[in-house]
Amino acid sequence: MTNSKYKLTKEDFKQINKRSLFGFQLGWNYERMQGSGYLYTILPQLRKMYGDDTPELKEMMKTHAQFFNTSNFFNTVITGIDMAIEEKEGIDAQDTVAGLKAGLMGPFAAIGDSIFGALLPTIFGALAANMAINGNPIGAIIWMVVNFGVMFFRWQQLEFAYKEGVELVTTMQHRLSALTDAATMLGVFMVGALVATMVNVEIAWAPTIAGLTIDVQNNLDMIMPRLIPALVVGAIYWLLGKEKMTSTKAIFIVLIVSIALSALGIVG
Amino acid sequence: MAIQWWQILILTLYAGYQILDELQVYTGLAQPVFAGLIAGLVMGDVTTGLIIGGSMQLTVLGVGTFGGASRIDANSGTVIATAFSVGIGMDPEQAIAAIAVPVAGLMIQMDILGRFANTFFANRIDTKIEEMDYKGIERNFLMGALSWGLSRAIPVFLALSFGGGFVNSLVSVLNNQLQWLGDGLSVAGAVMPAVGFAVLLRYLPVKKHMPYLILGFVITALLTTVFGNIQLLGDTVGSVVEDFSNGFISMPMLAIALIGFALAFREYKRTVETPNVPTENSGITSNEGEIEDDEL
Repeated sequence: MTNSKYKLTKEDFKQINKRSLFGFQLGWNYERMQGSGYLYTILPQLRKMYGDDTPELKEMMKTHAQFFNTSNFFNTVITGIDMAIEEKEGIDAQDTVAGLKAGLMGPFAAIGDSIFGALLPTIFGALAANMAINGNPIGAIIWMVVNFGVMFFRWQQLEFAYKEGVELVTTMQHRLSALTDAATMLGVFMVGALVATMVNVEIAWAPTIAGLTIDVQNNLDMIMPRLIPALVVGAIYWLLGKEKMTSTKAIFIVLIVSIALSALGIVG
Repeated sequence: MAIQWWQILILTLYAGYQILDELQVYTGLAQPVFAGLIAGLVMGDVTTGLIIGGSMQLTVLGVGTFGGASRIDANSGTVIATAFSVGIGMDPEQAIAAIAVPVAGLMIQMDILGRFANTFFANRIDTKIEEMDYKGIERNFLMGALSWGLSRAIPVFLALSFGGGFVNSLVSVLNNQLQWLGDGLSVAGAVMPAVGFAVLLRYLPVKKHMPYLILGFVITALLTTVFGNIQLLGDTVGSVVEDFSNGFISMPMLAIALIGFALAFREYKRTVETPNVPTENSGITSNEGEIEDDEL
């Protein structure tokens, strides 16, 4: 049997991490998305496990070049579990590994997107943007520091996943879903706060009725300050729920409607 | 003209680099607010860069690259808008709506082109696997950096090099014949972040966390009004009374975020402490599930 006795070393983890951190998505394409990226990150290790120019290596290279797409913040968790299995079972694990990759990429994409794709950019992006608009770059620097923390976390998870193996997914599930829940809650709270500060539009329309000028904006402020921004966001939220609506289309619709309302003197 | 060749060079290099940063190492340099900061530094007006970058940041707040979907390229938009805003002297908010947003929208096509070009390299990799050419596999993989980088660098270079005349006449028209459009674009620039927030709400479980959306909004709306009025008062008093030094600050957003964090922390604790309901024997789970479980 060519199932080698090769054991992954610290050096191997370092190499996989480096390749993942600096190259994982370079080959992203419509056909197989991160497929070639997955192969690239573990290619040196595959060569060590199966040996150069063996039919097993070719078989596994083909397996790992297949369609793959997950969060690029969690991809090495899957890699770690995969490596642990392949190291033990070699080519016999081909189907297991292919199934594992297909089964895990969806859930990890979802968690990764909500925490790293939506939540962190919301909180720190909002802070950074808020300060930036006032001419202060500190918020952006804070964000960058946080991102370096995230990098450290990404660096750690490979070895962790390798040691924990498949059990990791079941033991972590409850904690991860609790974290996602709390994280999305904070996200929703922050969006509320942002709507109240970052959308700067007011009613400029001040009709004169029987010689009396009515300051519409002032009246609205007495009902609830920042009511107009809330209504605008609510309207766009509703718009986005329409079929075939994309965020890009929404942006251009808002652009045109804003110009029209401004030209009519309703908002300013 | 107003934009020097070395400024074009640096901004072009940055445009090519930022997409690679975004895809891999994720330092944050690929965020619009940094695009604004860097473009501002290069152009010699950091404040304008930060205003444009900050607004574009908010516009794309909820627009992520989920599942490989293309999104509007706010970074290239920010770079080009900042360069022209500083170089030609255009109102930043007008530059957001008149340059940054349309450019960001057009750049979606370049993103698609870049991803498409990589399919070619992916197929070459398949051939190299058959040939057991390991170096070839890696080379064709790393070539992807070219499709990504050039898909951003080329348009930014072309726009900065040849767009000056166009933007120049655009600015003069917006400030004269089409004043209404110029004003409208400023308003649109200020409204843009609303789209980012709405997209984000579509993505987050907003119905489940509705009370917190209201809390976040109301706390902030009230405080921002109070802080804003105190500042206004300070400015007014300061302009009348000479000895009065106006030390009133604007509302610190971090404080609001900490309130939210406290609430989220509580939520996390509560969820973790709830025992994990075993789903294996879910066949008998009914409204009185716990009691039936005890009988087992």
